[in-house]
Amino acid sequence: MPTTSLDPRINRMALATDVTPSEKPPLDQFGTWEVFVQARDNKPPEHAGIVHAPDAEMAFLFAKEQYSRRGRGCVGLAVVPTDAVWVSAYVEGDQNAYDALPPAGPAAGASEAYVVFHLQKRGKQHQFAGMVEAADPPAAAHAARKTLGAEVPLNVWIAPAAAMHASDEEDRDFWTTLPEKKYRDATAYKTTDKLKAFQARQGG
Amino acid sequence: MNHPALKDLLYHLADDLLILGHRNAEWTGLGPILEEDIAFASMAQDKVGQSWALYKLLHDLGEPDPDQVAFRREAGAFRCCHLVELPIGAYEFSLMRHFLFDTALLLRFRALQSSSYVPLAQLARKFTGEVKYHDLHGRTWIKQLGNATVAARTRLQAALDEALPWALGVFEAPPREAEIIGEGLFTGEALLQAAWEERVRDILQKTQLALPDFSTITPAYGGRAGRHTEHLAPLLDEMSEVFRIEPDGEW
Repeated sequence: MPTTSLDPRINRMALATDVTPSEKPPLDQFGTWEVFVQARDNKPPEHAGIVHAPDAEMAFLFAKEQYSRRGRGCVGLAVVPTDAVWVSAYVEGDQNAYDALPPAGPAAGASEAYVVFHLQKRGKQHQFAGMVEAADPPAAAHAARKTLGAEVPLNVWIAPAAAMHASDEEDRDFWTTLPEKKYRDATAYKTTDKLKAFQARQGG
Repeated sequence: MNHPALKDLLYHLADDLLILGHRNAEWTGLGPILEEDIAFASMAQDKVGQSWALYKLLHDLGEPDPDQVAFRREAGAFRCCHLVELPIGAYEFSLMRHFLFDTALLLRFRALQSSSYVPLAQLARKFTGEVKYHDLHGRTWIKQLGNATVAARTRLQAALDEALPWALGVFEAPPREAEIIGEGLFTGEALLQAAWEERVRDILQKTQLALPDFSTITPAYGGRAGRHTEHLAPLLDEMSEVFRIEPDGEW
């Protein structure tokens, strides 16, 4: 086919439409884990990002260096498989994600502990809000609405406590030296200052 | 202050950490997966940082400053063991070396917490947490791969068999060790080795790897006396290449 345009969006308009999509091959990679970092004792653990890993222990190993290798401090770290996280509907503005919950279903099964995370503001991270006991994640969301709903979150994550793999209290010393590792921050090298001083010397 | 036995003790550990830190950093950008690449490079950086802190203690004892000591000595002046000098090899070798070395390092830092040389005891307390993670990293990987596929276990077993004689070289006693133990600076290499063998055995027992009989292995000694493998000099050349261009440069 002769090229009619260099703009890929134009070229895509002429794509064949009678193609049947082939079946997607299974992913040849590890599953993902959500990572939560607690920077200080008086701050809640906060979502930091994801890692790929074959199991919880490996996810923890990777998360530690991925998300707490620099910064002012860290006192604890936890990972949970992404597919163990139940996610509520997102709402906007001053709406409450708990108001958008579907009605509670019939109570069923034994109850277990769930960890609840709230997104308070778009562009921020989900933060630990509290724990609830419930039979399943939707029921946990309704339980959380009663005890934690006053926070008016834009989105709620709920994960079984049993699926979380967290650092022990005695492992806080993993991060003893973290505040000193300023050499991992580009700003610590003060390159702009050095460049300006160099330019001043060249000019003078 | 001139205290040759104490300086030996500090140089052995600092040189081990600097050279292994440099070696492990050679994996930067080449690690098996992104997450591991970052973790391994990060720990390599920790080791270089620990060596710097130990060179600083030596500087306080009258030795040249850390940069001079790290970048301007010839191979024969280094006191590192042979294990840390060896090329990185395939990843399973680097991982096995990391596991064997850091298991010893954690036990060493724990023992050094009660050193009679207070600045060293303080430093050991400060770095134990860092090394606890390094140790966790090493043994978690060994448990993972040591219970994985035949291909993984075969490669890991070969790496273990290859690394062990070198790993035992970590415990080569320094010439003035009687003084080191007598003054309570450190509990000594023999005690450390016994604790290390027990811990390594415990961890390997949780895998499908064959347990080594440590008593039948000839340790690779010589490093503590300044005799090194052919791999150390080229490493030092490369490590000090930038420093030598501008020895007074500030970074």
